[in-house]
Amino acid sequence: MPHLAGLAAPRIAVLGFSIEVFEALDRAGVPFVAVVPPEFEAYMNEHDMPAVPWDFEKRNEQSGELAVTLKERGVTVAVPLYEETVQWSGGLNALFRDDPRLFNRSLLFRDKSMMKRKAQMSGLRVGVFEEAENREDVSRFFKRVNKALLKLDGETDDPVHLKPFSAAGCLGHRVIRSEEDAAKLTDDQFPCLLESHLDGQEFSCEVFIHDKKIRFLNITEYVHLGHSNFIPCGPVLEAMRPRIQEACEQLIEAFGIEYGMIHPEWFVSQDKLNFGEVAARIPGGHIFNLIERAYGFDPYAAFALCSDPETPESVLEEFFPATNAHEGYAGSLMVYPRQKVVTKVSVPDELVEHPFYEKHNLFVPVTPKVAERVAYGDHYGTIFFFGDDPIRMGEALQRFEDMDYYV
Amino acid sequence: MSESAPSQAAPERVERLIENLDRALGGLADAKPFARAPHQNEVFQAAEALMATDEGMRRVYGLADRFDAAGVFTAGPWEDPAKLQPTLVAGSLEAAGVYPVIEILSELRMLAIAKGRVPEPLVPPGDAAEFLEKTLALNLRYLFGSGTEEDRVSRGPHGDTAERLFRLLADELTLAGVRADVVSEIEQISIQRPIMTRRVVELVELARRIPPAAGDEGGVQERLDLFHRAISGPSPMSVEHPELADYRAVLIDLAATPLSAEADAFASSLHATGLACPHHAVLLRTLKRREPALIGPALGLNPLGLAELDQNRELAHQLIQVAILPATAQSIYGFARLLERGLLSRAPVAAGLRRLVELDLTSEVRRNLLARRKPRDGVTANSVLVAGALSVLGQPLGIGQGNNPTCQAARGISLFSQHAPARLLDLVATAARDGLIEVPFDGAQINSQTLTGGLAPNLDLDLDPISVALVPQLDRVYDEIMRRVALRPEDGHKWANPALYGRFVPTGFESALDLTHTRVVDYEAFVRRFFATHHPAYNDGHELVYPNPVGICVTNAHGDHLGAHAVALQRIAEDPHGTLRAYFFNPNNEGRQNWGLGVRPSIRDHGEEEGESSLPFHQFVSRLYAFHYNPYEEGDAFAVPDGVVAEIESLAHESWGRAFIWGEGTP
Repeated sequence: MPHLAGLAAPRIAVLGFSIEVFEALDRAGVPFVAVVPPEFEAYMNEHDMPAVPWDFEKRNEQSGELAVTLKERGVTVAVPLYEETVQWSGGLNALFRDDPRLFNRSLLFRDKSMMKRKAQMSGLRVGVFEEAENREDVSRFFKRVNKALLKLDGETDDPVHLKPFSAAGCLGHRVIRSEEDAAKLTDDQFPCLLESHLDGQEFSCEVFIHDKKIRFLNITEYVHLGHSNFIPCGPVLEAMRPRIQEACEQLIEAFGIEYGMIHPEWFVSQDKLNFGEVAARIPGGHIFNLIERAYGFDPYAAFALCSDPETPESVLEEFFPATNAHEGYAGSLMVYPRQKVVTKVSVPDELVEHPFYEKHNLFVPVTPKVAERVAYGDHYGTIFFFGDDPIRMGEALQRFEDMDYYV
Repeated sequence: MSESAPSQAAPERVERLIENLDRALGGLADAKPFARAPHQNEVFQAAEALMATDEGMRRVYGLADRFDAAGVFTAGPWEDPAKLQPTLVAGSLEAAGVYPVIEILSELRMLAIAKGRVPEPLVPPGDAAEFLEKTLALNLRYLFGSGTEEDRVSRGPHGDTAERLFRLLADELTLAGVRADVVSEIEQISIQRPIMTRRVVELVELARRIPPAAGDEGGVQERLDLFHRAISGPSPMSVEHPELADYRAVLIDLAATPLSAEADAFASSLHATGLACPHHAVLLRTLKRREPALIGPALGLNPLGLAELDQNRELAHQLIQVAILPATAQSIYGFARLLERGLLSRAPVAAGLRRLVELDLTSEVRRNLLARRKPRDGVTANSVLVAGALSVLGQPLGIGQGNNPTCQAARGISLFSQHAPARLLDLVATAARDGLIEVPFDGAQINSQTLTGGLAPNLDLDLDPISVALVPQLDRVYDEIMRRVALRPEDGHKWANPALYGRFVPTGFESALDLTHTRVVDYEAFVRRFFATHHPAYNDGHELVYPNPVGICVTNAHGDHLGAHAVALQRIAEDPHGTLRAYFFNPNNEGRQNWGLGVRPSIRDHGEEEGESSLPFHQFVSRLYAFHYNPYEEGDAFAVPDGVVAEIESLAHESWGRAFIWGEGTP
């Protein structure tokens, strides 16, 4: 990046350890200092990379020292890499820019009920939601929602969703389908957020924002939440782009976001746009890899550039392509073993011969016993696709999800 | 990896995959060192996809000259080709995860080095070819596998991929060298006279399937034939009548001269190879009825053995009747050696063997003894057990621990067989009949039946029959004694060894390691004491009366510490070249080892007896960490030259010593 090249000291601090991100910033010529958990300090030193070891788990009076250390090194921007570092970057940026509200805004991303309420107050459509302290709260919420749906006796109840306030993505997400499910919950799952079920097509946006303006809006179509998605979205969602952009702008306004990137998730049902949730860190599901494959720009570098208030307008304009300038459609399928014990990877010929198939990273796991699955994202491997037709892409992702790759 | 993919790949598919690999190699080459790992993974994934077909494997090999430049192996165990070892290849190929893929890429690089496509200063092409030939020789089952399910499962999830690698290697290299390597491997294993001979038999079968070279250098064919005849039929009549029933019928009416020729042929084959074949059992059983005078010659007995046989004719015949069957023919070798040891003349041994013939076995022991037998073998558990006893008593240094961490128990069985054979048979009887052994310790009996655990709670049963019956019990007792002495101020083996093996183990005990096994303490005094008690020049001429159960630090070929190991120091003597050597028994199935820094235990050409390993005295000391000694038979520690002690200390320090803190101070 021309405006950053030749800078003696890095102005950006990235919070967390990610080789992918470091490599992207390095390639883009963006100098940075990494704030990493202490166990990664040796790795950073070994490779001569500027780093500050920091225990993100610990919060106490000394927490302010990190800001002092980074300031001394000339850092003016903090960029979070993981859910857990979002409020740290909020706190740091608040100190760097002398704007305490930045910290409070970052907390919006870390408390899902606060997030929902804020979205609701700003006029976005959200499902019904409530905080729950115990199993009785869950049971009551479940009954009320189904009562409002005017269910008759014997009709299947609509499920409700239970999510921890602050976990990344789908970590800890549970679906409550009956009162028995509610009774089975354990104490460590409270407090949490409850919400009614939203039907319909789900998608996410990766919104790159600089000076409150959207610089690039990517729409990721979810084929099966937590299993498969592709970029850019197909024609149905693409036709809704203006409305989606408007909703994102509403969200940015409501959350007071000035710089960086957000990753909101939405549902479209009966032509209505419903807000699911929003994160302010690098999304899962290999979305950044897919953006790079489809559009040819480096989203990690984009995240850093947008996070830095001093990035010149000209650099941003040159960096992002037009949203219709994609080279093709890039999809990923996350694979979870379906057996309890797996000893071998078996890739069907049909997959390898599919014109959209690119590569996979399925390896025989070192322990044959499959770990109990606790969230999307703890998949065993991923299959990548690339092709020129979003309809066929969606079909392929659906078709190949239905196969056993671990036997 | 796709095991279901056909070997003939669609060309466009291979092209696409090779583009992926090409791109991944480029990405890796451009990657900064900190970001190398994910790019290496990309390469492994791209390469693995290609390895699903023969054509793909060949194309990956086509790119092998780019591996090092791109950094495929950088910062991993495969980085330096000069440090790789053929013996480790099989383990990596059978592993799970990404390791088999890296291992295969490493072999492809080695092939490129051998072909001169990749210049490698430390590995000349000849060395690379030799590495691959050895690797092929050690992994022949991938080329000439039995195709059985057991074979397939044990090859691991990447078995088919490895098979494609070896097909490529066999195409590119000449197999002639491999055949010579395999025959040499057969000779070196069999010269150690192991009780378990399955590996040798497998290798003989595999070697015969390798096409012979044009010129038969070194008499490879003849050497191989010797072993093949030993397991299939070494005599004129057994060659003519491979079917056992036919052979038996022929023997009954055979004239005296050819019958005697049969006996001689079997005897000479048995002693040349240590291998017996089913026909040999048929011959002995027939001779017992028809011509007992030929039994001695048919076993190839020396005068001592012949006299022993003469003295104990009735028992010997009974043992042939019960235990020498076609399916247990290999015990003929042990039987011959047992007779030459004169063991049948010891009344408790004779009684102990007779007792096994009709012993009531626990159902577990019965099941385990028959676990690896086929129904048509027609053996009873008792005949297997007696045959096993003949082997163990005849070949005390042929015992191995198999795939179990039970070196302590295997060493025990060897020591009993050498010096307390009647006690061994006692232990076998109680273990097989009562499912327990009792060992006195600290004034009370330790009963193995009351114990759980042990080092090998799930014993791998690929063991000789005596080990099958006894190791589970010995292992638990050993573990229990070590538990009871854990808090004593010295290494627990000081008490465990005499308690387990017998009072012949001296009470003096010296260890170079502290209790936590983290520090080397007072190493010089340790070395000097060993010299003063074991080196004939410094120990006032006291001979080693019984084997010494010592502890050694095993190291790999690079001298890296692998762990503590139990061996028995058998004797100390000058070899035919005048070098003082330590001769020892290693229960680790294989006496040939490479412990790094030039320390390579040998098994022949240095005066070793069957099953013995040996090292020059000072090299042996450099791997020692604990030994027993008689405090009243100690010579002059001060007289050992400083230079000798320093040399040993440096050998220790630079190998296993690197894993420990030296001295009392902080590191």
